[in-house]
Amino acid sequence: MRKAWLVARHEYLTMVRKRSFALATLAFPVLIAAFLALTIFLALGRSDDRPLGYVDLAGVLTDEARQAGAADDAFIPFASEAAALAALQAGRIQAYYLLPAGYRESGAVQLTALSEAPPDSAQRAFDAMLRASLLAGQPLAVQQRLADGVNLTVRSIDGRREFSQSNFINLLLPFAAGFFFVYAVLSSAGYLLQAVATEKENRTVEIMATTLSPDHLIAGKAAGLLAVALTQLAVWVAALVLGLAVGAALEPALRAVEVPWTLLAVILLYFLPSFALIGGMMIAIGSVFSEMQQGQQVAGILNLLFMAPFFVLIVLFANPDGPMAVGMTLFPTTSFLTVLIRWGLTTIPAWQLALSWLLLTLSAAASVWAAARIYRAGMLHYGQRLSGPAIRAALRGQAPADELARGHTSS
Amino acid sequence: MNPLDSHTTVQVERLKKSFGAVQAVVDVSFEVYPGEVFGLLGPNGAGKTTSIRMMLDIFRPDAGRVAVFGGPMDEAKKNRIGYMPEERGLYRDLRLEPTLVYLATLKGLSEPAAKGEVTGWLKRLDLYEHRSKRIQELSKGMQQKAQLIATLAHSPDLLVVDEPFSGLDPLNTRLVKQIIQEQADAGKTVVMSTHQMYQVEAMCNRIVLIDRGHSVLYGRVDEIKRRFAGHAVSVAGSGDFAHVPGVLEARPPGENGAWRLALQPGAEPRDLLRTLASRPDVSIDRFEVAEASLDDIFITVVQGQRAEASDA
Repeated sequence: MRKAWLVARHEYLTMVRKRSFALATLAFPVLIAAFLALTIFLALGRSDDRPLGYVDLAGVLTDEARQAGAADDAFIPFASEAAALAALQAGRIQAYYLLPAGYRESGAVQLTALSEAPPDSAQRAFDAMLRASLLAGQPLAVQQRLADGVNLTVRSIDGRREFSQSNFINLLLPFAAGFFFVYAVLSSAGYLLQAVATEKENRTVEIMATTLSPDHLIAGKAAGLLAVALTQLAVWVAALVLGLAVGAALEPALRAVEVPWTLLAVILLYFLPSFALIGGMMIAIGSVFSEMQQGQQVAGILNLLFMAPFFVLIVLFANPDGPMAVGMTLFPTTSFLTVLIRWGLTTIPAWQLALSWLLLTLSAAASVWAAARIYRAGMLHYGQRLSGPAIRAALRGQAPADELARGHTSS
Repeated sequence: MNPLDSHTTVQVERLKKSFGAVQAVVDVSFEVYPGEVFGLLGPNGAGKTTSIRMMLDIFRPDAGRVAVFGGPMDEAKKNRIGYMPEERGLYRDLRLEPTLVYLATLKGLSEPAAKGEVTGWLKRLDLYEHRSKRIQELSKGMQQKAQLIATLAHSPDLLVVDEPFSGLDPLNTRLVKQIIQEQADAGKTVVMSTHQMYQVEAMCNRIVLIDRGHSVLYGRVDEIKRRFAGHAVSVAGSGDFAHVPGVLEARPPGENGAWRLALQPGAEPRDLLRTLASRPDVSIDRFEVAEASLDDIFITVVQGQRAEASDA
């Protein structure tokens, strides 16, 4: 096992030191950072330290409400509209609200500003002050309840799922997670294809064959590249968590994000067999084809099988419990992504989850088993692809009959 | 052949290997002992590399038996073997020193020990200043030397080198020869496959000649040369020496101005002299029995075998 570990470490370090890996891994955090920077820039660009004014002709706003709300000096009362207008034109306030005498009947409020309306946060503070004033005299709990409004939570019958207006962001998370996890699996499996072809292209196969067993070599490579995938995911998750933490400070809607523990468990359960399934396929492709380019073309087609749910996204959104959704949940190559997409849309029946995971795991085991056999048969097959009969012979556990007869025997 | 012997580094017994309809190896046997340089000879496609691959457990033979270090190959024994295959290569886009250290650690060395060994070899083979370069940036000769380091860094007890001199200039050829000889002198076993007969003659204690999958000649080099004494003659004169009965191959005059004629198996120098003397188109100034070189023996045996096969 020491040799498999050495291969794993070598593959891991070789891959993470590549510029292409750094670019692929850091692109997402950079995107998040850019988004946050833009948000902060826009927020700062619009900030105006000057207070707001108000003219309360209806006699609604109370001093208590003003003091309980935003900063004490955030709102300046004016006795008349002319005085407020003069202050606005003098630049002492950024805008002023006018509550006309008939406000209690009409509910109409006027806002006057010179060029730009004050930011949402200032307007929310004024609303809060107005509500607090209107509710003055009511018990505190009633004031609080009315101020918070209604938070509607939709819950499934079995209680496994719920969707609340306040945590709408949790609908998006499984979808985003699905995209990133599948992308990670596909890209690291792509590295595996490259890693398998490397020994053939570099003519190092024979050295490796007299150094360690094919099983240790392939296990080491797969483990190393799994670690690469996990590193990439760790960087992305860390970036996402950091982004959410920073974003929550700026955007209250993000504070409602909850850690989707059940979803995380499902992701963990599906991640390994999905990786093994596509990893086995990539190893087999890398072993069959002599040229990297040929292998990549076939691998590209294979990737489509895993990405298929994205192509029928509209159907899945329209009918997340329909036959196509169920079929794709059960089909091994599409199960991971389909489950993640459906997660935010419906309650996936437990039997579908169990059967889909079982089928995925069985396919993954078959894929790894076949890959190991094809790898052994193809490892010394320089300059030409492994023929169909040779692949069948390898899968039956026989020596590939025509493998070396056509041009490989060098002496 | 004796029963598997623990004092023998390699025992190969009646190996057979087919790939579909092609019989790559039909019947190959030999033994290799510690401290000797053993030559594996044969024309292209004879089955040398396939025999080596079976010897090293890269291929499983269809029949026959291989024993390395007294028994079948296992993972631990792989650490005692250094193999430089004919199909050469290292990880082209990686840097030289870390690649060699990685390969040495895979052969069982600890990382510090591997670094120490690799540094020593890099210095000896004039590659130390190139240690940080990517392998693809090295010249072909440098890559060849790097491959040799990968074969030797873990101090293997059995060294198997397939065409070790190809791609090397005369200076580096001499250096590699010296290293191979040092390994044998240190008690290591060396199996060398090459087409360069003069190298075999200069370096090998014993040889096996493989032709069409059969071992057709096997034994000590000096004994074989004695056995084949009289299978070549040196003739100075004029005329067509190439198409004379009993002559397998005629090499045009070299520095000494004499033709070198390799004789067919069974042909006697005195019969040839009689034939030449009777031909009006040939005049002879000098005729002498030459010591057979391995080149002559190779040609005599291989072409003789083929002539016999076509007669049959």
